[in-house]
Order: sequence, then structure tokens, then C-alpha cells
Amino acid sequence: MGTFIIFLFLGLLLGTPSVWAETLEERIKKLEETIQKQQEVLKDQQKALEDLKDQSKQAKVAEPPSAEPPPPRDYRLDDRSRGIYVPSASPLTPYSLTKQVTTPGLMNPAISVILDTEYYHSTLSRQELESRSAPGYLDPQEAPFKEGFNLRAIELGFFAPVDPYFNLYATLPVTEDGIELEEAYFVTTSLPAGLQFKGGKFKSGFGRFNAFHPHAWDFVNAPLAYKLFFGGEGEGLTEKGAQLTYLPNLPIYTILGAEVLQGDNDTLFGPDGGPHAYTGFVKSSLDLGANHSILFGGSVVGGKTNTGSFAPDTELKGDSVLYGLEFTYKWKPSRWRSLILQSEYLYRHQKGDLTDTVALTRDSLKRNQDGLYVQALYQIDRWRIGARFDRMAIFKDEVLLAGEKQNYSGQPYRWTGALEFNPTEFSRIRLQYNYDKSDPNKVNQEIFLQFLIAVGAHGAHAY
Amino acid sequence: MIPRCLMAMVCFLIWASPAVAQLNVVATLPWIGSLAGDIGKDKIKVTTLVKPSQDPHYVEAKPSMILEVRRADLLLFNGLELEIGYLPVLVESSRNPKIQPGTPGYFDCSQFVEVIEKPAAVDRSMGDVHPLGNPHYHHSPRNIYRVAGGITEMLATVDPANAGFYRTNLAGWQDKFKEREKKWGQTKLKGEKFIAYHKFFEYLAHDFGFEIIGYVEPKPGIPPSAGWVERIIELAKRTKPEAILTTSYYGTREVTFLSQKSGVRYIVVPHDVGATPACKDWFSLMDQVLAALK
Repeated sequence: MGTFIIFLFLGLLLGTPSVWAETLEERIKKLEETIQKQQEVLKDQQKALEDLKDQSKQAKVAEPPSAEPPPPRDYRLDDRSRGIYVPSASPLTPYSLTKQVTTPGLMNPAISVILDTEYYHSTLSRQELESRSAPGYLDPQEAPFKEGFNLRAIELGFFAPVDPYFNLYATLPVTEDGIELEEAYFVTTSLPAGLQFKGGKFKSGFGRFNAFHPHAWDFVNAPLAYKLFFGGEGEGLTEKGAQLTYLPNLPIYTILGAEVLQGDNDTLFGPDGGPHAYTGFVKSSLDLGANHSILFGGSVVGGKTNTGSFAPDTELKGDSVLYGLEFTYKWKPSRWRSLILQSEYLYRHQKGDLTDTVALTRDSLKRNQDGLYVQALYQIDRWRIGARFDRMAIFKDEVLLAGEKQNYSGQPYRWTGALEFNPTEFSRIRLQYNYDKSDPNKVNQEIFLQFLIAVGAHGAHAY
Repeated sequence: MIPRCLMAMVCFLIWASPAVAQLNVVATLPWIGSLAGDIGKDKIKVTTLVKPSQDPHYVEAKPSMILEVRRADLLLFNGLELEIGYLPVLVESSRNPKIQPGTPGYFDCSQFVEVIEKPAAVDRSMGDVHPLGNPHYHHSPRNIYRVAGGITEMLATVDPANAGFYRTNLAGWQDKFKEREKKWGQTKLKGEKFIAYHKFFEYLAHDFGFEIIGYVEPKPGIPPSAGWVERIIELAKRTKPEAILTTSYYGTREVTFLSQKSGVRYIVVPHDVGATPACKDWFSLMDQVLAALK
């Protein structure tokens, strides 16, 4: 009995798996067979489907031009369009949207990202660069570029329509020092009578160059007159405030504008309680034939001044007015060829009291100074060459301190030459040379190799 | 002095404003302006922003255009982002509430088009690909037929007093279309092979059953390099296409070279109304296009 049980147990232990194995193998074989059959069936079906597709494709392609037998098929009214199209006697509904054609996306603003990076070489040492000034105009400013690799900014741009009445823009250049708020403003779209209102922080309508962001400049750096009258790198007048512009329905394009600004620019105005800078501008444009156009105008900005930018350890309190005249000519016969000539003349009138913050003396200061730049850009295919000449003290260089004429022996000037290669409209490589005598004591020769690389939303370009 | 100036100004403004109340229709491209003119006739005043000689991809927003858009009662444009480089700035700068996005006056003609070549995924390493699909649909009769209907209904909406007039004109236009269509249908292009400069003729190929086997541009909007031109010559020699298709604004330098090297002729296809003197309206444009391809 015991041995039987043991045998039975052993039998079970050894025998059953082999029996199971056989049946399993058989089963698997059967399964494999059935799967193979099914696969064959599937293949056949797929082939049939593809054949059908090809046929229908061929039929689609073939039908429109097949003229035999005439008349040809009414191909404009295929099944889908027949559903959409209803004879025109009925109201608008038949022509419903076949798809949404809005970009940017409904809830997301359009975003652009622009990298602005350059290699810089100067004949001057770091110390010499930091101590450069334009006597009578501006005290030494921080040198914007360092020998070697520079990253000016990666500029983030946002845009979206807000509702049927406003558009919103924001430009945030990110530098190694952090994020800046260059512009953030709304602009109206639906005011009547050609009026438009802008509010927030924005680039003033003063002048021509002022409206452009650094990545859109025609050269790496700003015109000398902008640098000396507005300070910084010459970005010009970017202020918190409000702007009203008017585009009358005249035979030629003419725009009139006025702004009330906070007056934070610390070279021309400087901190003061409340808004204390005001601008006004008029610009006109004409087409001269199909390929030529000109834009010209005049601007004025004036306000209360409270600045330490005249010379170290000084404080100037008074009033400033800056006048600007602009002229642009464009010849653009095709995408691959263009010539742009541009010039601006700036004149500054300033009057006030200059306090020496060390000696604590106060004298009257009066400055009447001007400056000009002339530039030309010629494009052939994807290449563009450019030249610019900057000069201060064109007609007027008058600095009266305590009624006495100061002689700074300076007629600051600068020559600039640039060569650009634009692989597409989203990338630009620029090689630039400056011969800069804005400081009469030292000539600065500079070379830039700049890369401007843009991704994201395709911004429309202003004139 | 100042009152006299003001008087002069007011007189000038009165003089400058139109005497007859025509509907001001501004179209971006010549074919759109021409189509609107066929429907609206003397009841509308059509202004076209882009010249027939211009490359529609690269148009600059000139101040004179802003002024035209400022006066518009209706703005008709191609859509599919073809005008993205200049139209948004024109629309905003125009300060014209009638043609802002979201209003009926902001009229995107592509809403009636069966768009082809809509990329599933796109980035700019592919060149200047239009992310909403191929925008050059104006060579496609089946699509333009519907666009004409759409423009008519929009004119009727904006100017209901003349709705009947516009619809009658559309009926006339449609009769003409049916007549021409018979003629166009006899153009034997089915199965033929072409090389094209730009992705400009895909709708034409789609409608008339021919094939575009290669492009002179290596990627949309990127001019060909010497190496790429060699490859196109090799392709042309191997496949012997009917012709190399181009448009006037791309110039003939590259295609002449290609043609000489490969023995395949090139055809400058009229790209829009007014591209050649014979292309007076959309119908004659299509006539000329199909005649050129024969």
C-alpha cells in the first residue's frame, strides 16, 4: 500500500508534467497555426484595403483632367464641399469655417525668443574702455561689451489679442544679471476716427531709431547721438506712460502722436515726482513708384531734468528739450535686392542749475548741442553691407557754465562698417568694425561678430 | 492765421473724402482683388496691396498700405499665414475697427479651402514651411469656386443694400466658370512629371493630376546651393520630367542653368493676376497657367 502510494506519487510527480507538456505543445502548435492563418487573412485584407486606397487615389487624381468622355466631372463639388456649399440665395451660414485659422492658439500668447550674442575685440584695455567719456555730453558710462564672448540678451517677446478692443505686448530681455522689463503695454484696436491709445511701458514714438529693439538694429550699437543724449547703450526713450496717436484719412500717410511719460530716463530727465516728460511727433510717408518709398518726420520731447550724468559728482536740475528730424528712403525692387538710406538729426536744449555735490557750489548751466547720423544698407541676395557715420556738434556745440563758454575741444564722431549674412529671416550673422572717436582723447577701434537667432512666433516687421 | 489753417485743413479733409459711397475693399494679393472686382463691379472700390511683381512671401508693411487698410470696409486676404510677415502690423496700425480680427471685415479666404500639405509636426529646420498647410491654393479651380461664393456672401453681409447685385454677379461668374472648366478639363496633364522651384503648384497638380517630383529649393524659402543644384540636374536627367516650373519673382538664373545642364526646358508660370499682361483676371490667369503647362 505504502509503496503503491509512493509509486503513484512518483508517477504523478514525473508523469503528469510530460503529459501536460505534450498537450501544451500541441495546443501551442494549433494556436500558432490559427494565428498564421489569421495573419494571412489580415494580410489579404490589408492588401485589398491598400488596393482600394490606391484605386480611390488614382480615381481622385485621374478624374479632374480626364476629358474622355466629355463633359468632365464637376470636380469642384466633391462630396465634402457639396455639404458645405449651398446656392448663394441662402444666407451666410453655408460658408461655415471648415477649420479654425487662428494663430496664435486661442489661449496662448505668441512667444518669440531671440538670442543676441557677440564676440568683441577692442584696441583699448578694459580700464581705458571704462573711463571713456564724451566731455560736455556725458560722463563715463559702463562699457557695454567686454573683450571676448558676450551675451547681450535673450529677448523674450509675448503678444496676444486681449479681446476685441486691446492687444497686449511684453518684451523681456534676459541677461546674465537677470530679467529686465523692456516693454509691457496694451494698445487699442477699435477706437474710432483713426485714433489709437497705448499704455504701460513702451518705446516712445520719438524719432526713427527709438522704436526698434536692439535685435532689430541695423548695427550692433546705437547711433552716437542716441547714446549721448539718452545715455545707456543708446536704446533711447523707453518709458512708462500713455500715448495717443491719430491717423487721419488723408491722401498721404501722416501720423500724429503725443505722449505723457513718467520721465525716468536718467540722462535726459531723471527721477522727479509724477509724470514730467511730454512728447509730440508727426511723420509722413510717400510711395514713389512701386519700389521706392520715403518716410520723414519731426519729433520733440521735453521735461524736467534732475540728473547726475553731466559729470561725476554733479547734479543738474532744470529743463530739457530734445528735437528730432528723421528721413528714411527705401528702394526694394525684389526680395533679393534693397537699398535703405536713413538719417536722423537731434538737437538738445538744456537749461538749469548745476550743483557740485562735493564742493557744494551751484552754477547755471546751459547746453545747446546737436548730433547726426547717416547710414546706408545695401542688400544683395542673403548678404547685406552697411555703413554709418555719426557726428556730434554739427551746427551747435554750446555749453555755458555760469555764463562762460566751456571748450571741450570735442567733435565726437564714429565710422561704422558692417557685413551681414542672413541665412533665413530668422538668423543673422554680422561682422562689424567701428572707428570711434567719441572721446577726443582716445580712438577706440572695435570689431564685433554678432549672432542674432530667433525662434518662436513669426513677428510681423514694421517699416 | 490758425483759424485759416484749420479752414484749409477742413476743406482738404472734405475734398479727400470720397464723394460716392462705394464699399472700400482692400485685398492683399492681386487675384483676390480681381475676384472681388468680378463680384462687386462698380459697387466696390478695390485696392490691392501686393504688386504682381512681388514675391507674396516677402512683403514689407509700408505706411502707404497702413493708410489703405485704414480706409477699408472689408479686408480680404489669402490666409494660412502667407501674410504673417506684414498683415498683423498693418491691421493693428490701421486703427480701423471694421477689419480687426474677429470682425466680419477681417476676411480670410482660406476658410473655404480644402487645405493640402498640412504638416503633422513642423519646425523651422524644415525651412519656411507653412504650419497651417500649403497656402498657394489660388491655382485650384475647385477651391476658388467656393472662395468666390464666400466673398459674395461677405459683400452681401457688409453691404446688404446691394446683396442681390452681388449674388447676380456671382451667378454670372459661376456660368463663366462652368464654361471655362470644360476647356480646362481637356488639358492633358494627368500623370506628367514636373520639377518646381517652390511648393507653389501643389494645388494645380492636385486638381489636374500631374506630379511634382522635386524642388529647386532644397527646403521652402532656402535658395539652392551648388551641391543641391547638381542633385536636381541628376534627378532631371534620370526622370526626364516635362519641365521645370518657376515664377517670375524667383528669377531665371538658376532654372536657366538647370535647363542647360539637364536638357529639360523651364516654364515661367504666371503666379498671379497681372504677372503677365494676358492675366487680366483669375479666369485668364488660369487660361495662361494651363496654356503654359501644355
